Amino acid sequence: MLKQVTMAATGLVLGLSMTAQAGTLEDVQKRGSVSCGVSTGLAGFSQKDEKGKWSGIDVDVCRAVAAAVLGDSDKVQYKPLTAKERFTALQSGEVDMLSRNTTWTLTRDVSLGLNFAGVNYYDGQGFMVSKSLGVSSVNDLDGAAVCIQAGTTTELNLADYFRAHGMKYTAITFDTSDQTRSGFESGRCDVLTSDQSQLYALRIGLKKPSSAMVLPEVISKEPLGPVVRQGDDAWFNVVKWSLAALIEAEFLNVTSSTASKLAKSGTPEQQRLLGNTGDAGSKLGLDAKWAYNIVSQVGNYSEVFERNVGSGSPLKIARGLNAQWNKGGIMYSNPIR
Amino acid sequence: MSHPVVPSDTTTPTGGRIFHPKAAEPAPVTVVGKQAWLKNNLFSSPLNSAITLVLLALLGSFIPALADWLFISAHISGQTQDACTGDGACWVFIKVWIQPLMYGNYPDASLWRVNLSLILLGAVLSSPYWLPPKLRNKVDIMLLLAFPFMAIIILDGRLLGLEYVSTAYWGGFSLNLFLASASIILGMPLGFLWALGRRSNMPMARSICVVLIEFFRGVPVLALFFMGSVMLPLFFPEGTNVDKLLRVWIVLTLFMAGYMAEVYRGGFQAIPSGQYEASAAIGLSYWQTTLLVILPQVIKVSMPNILATSVMLFKNTTFLMIIGIFEILSTAQNALTNSNWLGGFSTEAYLFVAVIYWICCFSMSMVATRIERKLDTSHKS
Repeated sequence: MLKQVTMAATGLVLGLSMTAQAGTLEDVQKRGSVSCGVSTGLAGFSQKDEKGKWSGIDVDVCRAVAAAVLGDSDKVQYKPLTAKERFTALQSGEVDMLSRNTTWTLTRDVSLGLNFAGVNYYDGQGFMVSKSLGVSSVNDLDGAAVCIQAGTTTELNLADYFRAHGMKYTAITFDTSDQTRSGFESGRCDVLTSDQSQLYALRIGLKKPSSAMVLPEVISKEPLGPVVRQGDDAWFNVVKWSLAALIEAEFLNVTSSTASKLAKSGTPEQQRLLGNTGDAGSKLGLDAKWAYNIVSQVGNYSEVFERNVGSGSPLKIARGLNAQWNKGGIMYSNPIR
Repeated sequence: MSHPVVPSDTTTPTGGRIFHPKAAEPAPVTVVGKQAWLKNNLFSSPLNSAITLVLLALLGSFIPALADWLFISAHISGQTQDACTGDGACWVFIKVWIQPLMYGNYPDASLWRVNLSLILLGAVLSSPYWLPPKLRNKVDIMLLLAFPFMAIIILDGRLLGLEYVSTAYWGGFSLNLFLASASIILGMPLGFLWALGRRSNMPMARSICVVLIEFFRGVPVLALFFMGSVMLPLFFPEGTNVDKLLRVWIVLTLFMAGYMAEVYRGGFQAIPSGQYEASAAIGLSYWQTTLLVILPQVIKVSMPNILATSVMLFKNTTFLMIIGIFEILSTAQNALTNSNWLGGFSTEAYLFVAVIYWICCFSMSMVATRIERKLDTSHKS
């Protein structure tokens, strides 16, 4: 009931406010900081350390936008949001953008008055098994007992997938991810299923992380990306191309340490990205050095990935789908020219 | 126990007897002393003896393992989760995260402001004990009502010319304390007004108060929080950005007022109508009657409920977790999802939060019992 009322209210107010909202870019420049909605805590994506410093792959998207618009990646106001609050906070103008492991779906894109500005992480539902089981593919899991967190879409995906492949399973549901993990650890099930990024985080929490492995298959599509309000195209473009610049920088082999050298002496494409030639910055309404600021302060996509969730982090997630398109993944940036 | 040597009865020179009182015999061991206590409380019947033995055996098997986990094989030295290797509790986790758990991300250099506000809170709450009796009535209420605003001014810092610390950095257990005390302090007088309105003869005032009370009492606090954090912003005009913490504070205050109004109503019903008639007879006005005659008695009668409601509200502040405010519980959860602390320390974290809460709530009930005993002039025979 409350949800319906909220939805109705959302719709009403959105209708009114859509016309009034324009010029987030000017607002941000005037205010001198980007207000960015992040998760209240998700390992590797947005997390706060004991000193209160935010880090993560989602947080780095906020920092990239701040670097592009304001020239300083630290000029971000982080607004921790729960899953229920996130869209309202964006709609009501409490945050300028949302970078909070949000799956890009048609419903959200079309009916909430929002625009997805790209994908910064391709997630999907995967499986973790104990190595002693000797299983190497999901297709060997016929008849398995599966640990699962109740009330998530994970449950639905699992049922769909096993039915489509004519396999049987026994679901053992738990309330929280902690309980799910201890269920798996105590041997109540053979398999644990969740989004892959979560599986890696759960795996670290096991007493012997090396005893479990994450299977390579992914059975659902969860493209996660930053979101902005609909109807403010200038700001939408800035967020979209800030994310693209991260990915393009990796494709062009520009890293945070080589950026200043390559801006002068790199290939024409590198120089164009870094603002030495071309007028991409002024077309976006930004400084010519916008992409240079992103790469030199935040790094390229590979650096962001490895630092937060990849080999440089405790999570050790493989690039997988998130590798560049020419290296076996599907990360692809439209050309910046 | 040694008994004083009592001289035996003697005879006076004139032949009369002098009687010396004898000291009382000690009570039999079956009635007082450790043995009697054991017999009466633990082994009074075969069934009770059996239950006692079973429980003792359970405790005996349970306590050593618990003590081992809690203290003996627990880890306390070190700064990272690698310091925790064995089976014991990992107090390193709590040690590293203690500052965010208590103070949120309030800047180190300004932590004294949080401490000052906490000291102020203690001083204001204990003021009835140290203020001279003459000043109590007037100064105390002023102090109480001023406290929330003083704390906000100190923590925010702009008005005092200190470094501005936005509410995004407030957090931890101090935030729970401030929010609970601020909403209890403001909710109590507001609730009293609502309760008066509900008893009023003016139809408009009465129906407004009934609607307010029933709404804030009838809707779960969780739904109220969601309304404060998710729905309210949609109704504000574009560009007004009312702070999330402020919205939550308002919601909590109204919630408290709704409950307190009903507590007071119970108190009102316990006041005999003779009190009203007597004060009317000596010519007191409505407000004089209410404030000078009725209110003190209402508060005395409702004391147990007032304190129970306050404890409940204090515990409700943990719900702030679900709307993304970093109070103590959500700070603990955030720490558990940090990729450097994924080793499964939830038991330690939740135990720590539980102990902190238990200490606070238990001391609140101790104070409550004391106040009740002090106020007790009751009709009990």
